[in-house]
Amino acid sequence: MLLLVFMYISLFAFIILSLSKAMKYAKMPMHSRWELYPVPKEKGRGEYGGSYYEEVKWWEKPRETSLAGEIKEMLKEMLFIKNLFINQRPLWWLSYALHLGIYLLALWTVLLFIGAITEIAGLPMVTETGVNKHWWAALIYYCTLFTGSIGTILAAVGAGGLFLKRVFNETLKKYTTPQEYFNLLFIFTVLVTGLIVWSSDPAFNYGRDIMKRLLTFSAIQADTALTVHIVLLGLLLIYIPLSKMSHYVGKYFTFHKVLWDNDPNLPGSEVENKVKEAGRFKPSKSWSAPHCKTGETNSQ
Amino acid sequence: MVKNRDLKPQDIGRPGEQLTKLGKLMELPAPYDDPDMEPPLTEPKDSWKEKHCASLDGYIGIDTLTRPQTKKEEEEFVKKFLSGLEKIFSDETNRNFIQPLLLSFEYCAKCNTCSEACHVYQASGKNEIYRPIFRSEVLRKIAKKYFTKSGKILGRFVGADINVNWETIARLGELAYRCNLCRRCAQTCPLGLDNALLAREIRKIFSQEMGIAPKPLHEKGTMLQLKTGSTTGITKPALLDMIEFIEEEIEEKTGKKIKIPIDKKGADILLVHNAGEFMSWPENPAAFAILFEEAGLDWTLSSEMMGYDNVNYGIWYDDLQAKKIALQQFKVAKDLGVNRIVIGECGHAHKAAAVSMDRIVTGEDNIPRESFLPILWDLVKTKKLKLDPSKNNFPVTLHDPCNVVRMMGVVQPQRNILKAICPQFREMTPHGVHNYCCGGGSGFAIMNYMNFPEFRNKVSSRMKFKQILDAFQDTVKDPGIPKYVCAPCSNCKGTMRDLLEYYGATEKFNIHYGGLVELTVNALVDIKNPFLEFLQE
Repeated sequence: MLLLVFMYISLFAFIILSLSKAMKYAKMPMHSRWELYPVPKEKGRGEYGGSYYEEVKWWEKPRETSLAGEIKEMLKEMLFIKNLFINQRPLWWLSYALHLGIYLLALWTVLLFIGAITEIAGLPMVTETGVNKHWWAALIYYCTLFTGSIGTILAAVGAGGLFLKRVFNETLKKYTTPQEYFNLLFIFTVLVTGLIVWSSDPAFNYGRDIMKRLLTFSAIQADTALTVHIVLLGLLLIYIPLSKMSHYVGKYFTFHKVLWDNDPNLPGSEVENKVKEAGRFKPSKSWSAPHCKTGETNSQ
Repeated sequence: MVKNRDLKPQDIGRPGEQLTKLGKLMELPAPYDDPDMEPPLTEPKDSWKEKHCASLDGYIGIDTLTRPQTKKEEEEFVKKFLSGLEKIFSDETNRNFIQPLLLSFEYCAKCNTCSEACHVYQASGKNEIYRPIFRSEVLRKIAKKYFTKSGKILGRFVGADINVNWETIARLGELAYRCNLCRRCAQTCPLGLDNALLAREIRKIFSQEMGIAPKPLHEKGTMLQLKTGSTTGITKPALLDMIEFIEEEIEEKTGKKIKIPIDKKGADILLVHNAGEFMSWPENPAAFAILFEEAGLDWTLSSEMMGYDNVNYGIWYDDLQAKKIALQQFKVAKDLGVNRIVIGECGHAHKAAAVSMDRIVTGEDNIPRESFLPILWDLVKTKKLKLDPSKNNFPVTLHDPCNVVRMMGVVQPQRNILKAICPQFREMTPHGVHNYCCGGGSGFAIMNYMNFPEFRNKVSSRMKFKQILDAFQDTVKDPGIPKYVCAPCSNCKGTMRDLLEYYGATEKFNIHYGGLVELTVNALVDIKNPFLEFLQE
């Protein structure tokens, strides 16, 4: 039962801590415009990096933005880590293996959940004669098998490979802190314990069983290997949002709220309201250089 | 001295004379592939080393940063730095940058993608201290050590392993002035982080808290501008004299009798120049006047305090100065009752007025600002200007000012114009939003003291020089063919002037530089003699 409670706590912590990190950034004061082109939402101009400033009297013309352009660019970065692929190919292979592995494992978790629901609903994945021939059960079964196995292997290769690369590449080594090695090792260890558990049950039936127990609030039956794996995974889930591995939160803000945020301050706009509100802020502290006077710290 | 490639961020505080020295720089293309073609590197003078911080790379970027004479002075210096460092992380004192700063501070994956993008790092022959994350990592380590719980508890484990003293901080301050703030690094970062912003935040600590900034940026820059109306120190009577001189020059060169409108109330356009143009390149305001009059635009210049100099050096180092200047510039336009402010050939003025200050003004103070480039393209496109491209039949390439292009998204108008008026136009590689800085960005163009110009010409402008030579490879060795680098930005032009002179490129290979409006005037059908000086017999 302790394991079950711990799993709830770690999952809950992951979500709450990630959200609180997002809230921390979302609640920060409006920042100075600091966009960087190309801004993909610029309709018809995103491709070459243009903006509405290319138009004469741009403020008199309707603002044309492209959600599709933004989503396309976003997906390229999210699904393929485009910037690293273009600019840093040697590192991309390992980094992408890790990230793709994590994406597959996220999908695997969803599939375990669906599989558990399916079984609770009375359609088992496996029957006495083997994999259930029912198309839905078979689909979920094999997809779970694929995502879980490939995901774990890719992520382990990525995390382990990145660790070794940082150890042996002189430049990377100089800038890597012990904590950053620890982060990679931590992920790698969790994946290795996962591989050990998986080796005794290649079809991931244990995973579906845990998911069912999570859904039905019943105690998890786990041997030593599975217990170690669950504890380490739970600790990792709590640790990720507290560390810079929470860049899944940061990346949203760096791109959408800084680099791609070029909304103009037009009369009557939401931006104008925010600027007015920001102008009302009276700081209690100020900068100390002789040319800086109290009350003028909210600038630019 | 540790080998350049072996340096690591923790070495920033290492005792000793000088942390690094320029070694083998990035190779230049022909005809500068022979090392004898470029002036040699020089050593810093002993007097500079005694007074300033030459212990980073031998160059002095901050002329007001002086060595403390007593232990007490050093302690005071360290205390002020730490106090400023704390302030950049407070939403009370750094509201306008706290979010982008924290994001860039917290999430760096140390993948080094930025290094490949940085022209300073590449041009230096990959000297470790110019790697964009070197500076960021020093800042990170210090901030973690002094201001984070994890740093205090876990120390080295989380990278909190740099102690501060005068030498460490001074070197970090100097290092903040080895970055052009061009933000090319941020374009390639997979996490969207911005090393240039961190460099700027270091500059901010030095200026806003410690009162230390390069003299041309602060004392002779923003402070002088706030006092006299212009960083050039040009007074109203002097400006009016210059404008009279420009009118005479226009008549002499083109036969056109033009009365430049000044302080015309209710004009449609207030055109604002970098006042450096009046002093160094009067042909530029002249060309604007010719084109705007030819096209029949309703425009004016201002002779009011803060109305005739569009520069705003604050955006390079000091938020407070930037805001003070911008507000006064906006007031001039409001008092004149113009419909819009049009920014002339000055890159950082584009960024400052149109973009950065867009989060400052509201209501009647919010006078629309636009670049001159779309207007000029409109005049060319609609044939309001009668142009003959054969008058510009010589190789021309375009330098994209970072502030206009990468940071504002004005990309096509200038190339559309050049394609229409220059038959031999060719692009640099890379160009547009992926361009390289001229090397004079963020104030470097005007930091002309001690040995800093050598750093600029040798390192920060090196990539641009390479690009220029590459663009003209077909004709570069033929001094009989004039070649023109179009740089529609006053600071970029200042850098080009110094660069071409340093390498003797104009004298030896007939490579010239100038703005876009001058080229456009040169192509005007009804002007008999060439407007560009190097075409005149």
